[in-house]
Amino acid sequence: MRNGHAEEIGKLIEPGRVHRRVYTDPDLFDLEMERIFGRAWLFVGHTSQVPNPGDFITTDLGRQPVIMVRHRDGSVQVLLNRCTHRGAKVVNERRGHAPRLTCCYHGWTFDTDGRLMTVPVPEGCAENFDKDAFGLARAPRVGEYRGFVFASLAPKGQNFEDHIGPVKGNIDDLVDRAPDGALALDAGMHRYVYNGNWKLQVENVLDSYHVPFGHASTVNKDGVQFARREGDQKGAMVVETEKKQTAASWKDRKSFIAGNGHGWTSNTTLDDGKRSSPAFDEYKKVLAEKVGAERANDILTPRLHNSLIYPNMSIMGLNIHVRVIKPIAVDRTEVTIYPIRLVGAPEAMNFGNIRLLNVTHSAASFVQTDDLESFVRAQKGLQSTMTDWVDISRGLGAEEPDRERNATRELATHEMVVRAQYKAWLGYMHEAA
Amino acid sequence: MAADGSSRAALEDFIIHEARLLDARRFRDWMALFADDGTYWVPAVPDQKSPFDQASLFYDDRDLMKTRVERLEHPRIHVQTPPSRTAHLIGNVVVEESDQAKGEYVVGSTLIVAEYRDDAQRIFAGRQRHHLRRHGETFRIVQKRVDLINCDGAFEAVAVPI
Repeated sequence: MRNGHAEEIGKLIEPGRVHRRVYTDPDLFDLEMERIFGRAWLFVGHTSQVPNPGDFITTDLGRQPVIMVRHRDGSVQVLLNRCTHRGAKVVNERRGHAPRLTCCYHGWTFDTDGRLMTVPVPEGCAENFDKDAFGLARAPRVGEYRGFVFASLAPKGQNFEDHIGPVKGNIDDLVDRAPDGALALDAGMHRYVYNGNWKLQVENVLDSYHVPFGHASTVNKDGVQFARREGDQKGAMVVETEKKQTAASWKDRKSFIAGNGHGWTSNTTLDDGKRSSPAFDEYKKVLAEKVGAERANDILTPRLHNSLIYPNMSIMGLNIHVRVIKPIAVDRTEVTIYPIRLVGAPEAMNFGNIRLLNVTHSAASFVQTDDLESFVRAQKGLQSTMTDWVDISRGLGAEEPDRERNATRELATHEMVVRAQYKAWLGYMHEAA
Repeated sequence: MAADGSSRAALEDFIIHEARLLDARRFRDWMALFADDGTYWVPAVPDQKSPFDQASLFYDDRDLMKTRVERLEHPRIHVQTPPSRTAHLIGNVVVEESDQAKGEYVVGSTLIVAEYRDDAQRIFAGRQRHHLRRHGETFRIVQKRVDLINCDGAFEAVAVPI
């Protein structure tokens, strides 16, 4: 597998099933880092994380440590976090502010656009040493949509517009909820890790099939989940307890795909007519004052549960957050979840969102913990070499066109979205870098 | 010895009792130690000023605590199959604030918790602060705050309160 011959990789994905090695083979993971994370458009961060010149965050794009930093001219730069001298990581904080970026080892100092500014003891430099050739490397391509910053580590490939186009509406759905039309990812983060492959998390975000069983412990004796949104008196009906089956409203949910591995699921059915609390009512009023009552009503009509922007991020529309998936090793993944502050919304509303995200998506939450257990157990089960295939065939052949979103639609308890992810996966993996 | 019997020893006994209830997995009894307006807070950044504008690992009021405990009692809580076993060790207990008139106390201590589950053991460590309110012969917790030394790190699933 080390050479990644297209023919051999093609054998790992069949209609309705995936070979176990896709989750367990370290050589395939290396190839994914090169062919997917080395060239796909990856979510890096949000412009609100670096509001002022010199503000930075650090993260990893696949195996490449990067700095996202605001330059003096207002641009957001995505720089490789590796000193061009002897290779040390230049910025060691997860976030902060620095007018210049100075390497700890020999003190090479870079401007916030990556340009090498000063070198200590310059008289020791080689005669033909050209400072301009020693700037921090940059991500070859950077794109932004409504504050969401993406980068590709490949100079060529699908353009940003074609990549993000099918899911712009999903980003709009979230941003439009802010009375000032802007989001702020400045309310900290949840970080969790698990001993399992990154794709287990990617597949899970659009998986509506697992909820009634996987999250059984979040559902009360009447089959209803706890309230997850500010102003809700109770959560979604998940199970019809008398019939001991998944609730009809849950089964009716739809999933959608629109190319590039992206996908989303329709909203969780809640009693929106009864959604009310002092914080929510005030928020609704503020939003209506900004955009008009009709538009506010439209914005607050739930349409989306989770949206996946393949391969490394998702947006949740129910209890709002942005999730970033970071592969560490074939069997180790780290995930960051950012609460979202709706700029212009009453602080009590933003607090309501932050507070409920603690109980759904922190490492100590009611929801995420059972998912993590499933990922860990999947990774353990997939070690078995006695069975080669993972089944993703639910709803195979039942896909139908959705003209409204120019997408393809299916029941959300089916597995069309996972099949679409593997189609995108193959697209990246087939092609030599 | 405090005039109302709220001696350092009584306060220390109380927070040790609280930890022992967690180790015994008596979550419902543990919850009952909290005042009706009580909160359980584990910040996600060092010196976190407020639970209101930043994410927290835990920030439960009594309602959320009740949902948490009901879930811990649920037969299909997969992340507790098998269940966690924990051992809390509390030391360096200091009565930081004491208002005899109001019967309110703030007790600081250092906490180490070992957790074992599913063939793996891990350690949590940090400082905790109990804001306690006198309640008859005992206390109620107004706030338990645990500042883990790795509060802003990435965690594997944390299923039981720390």
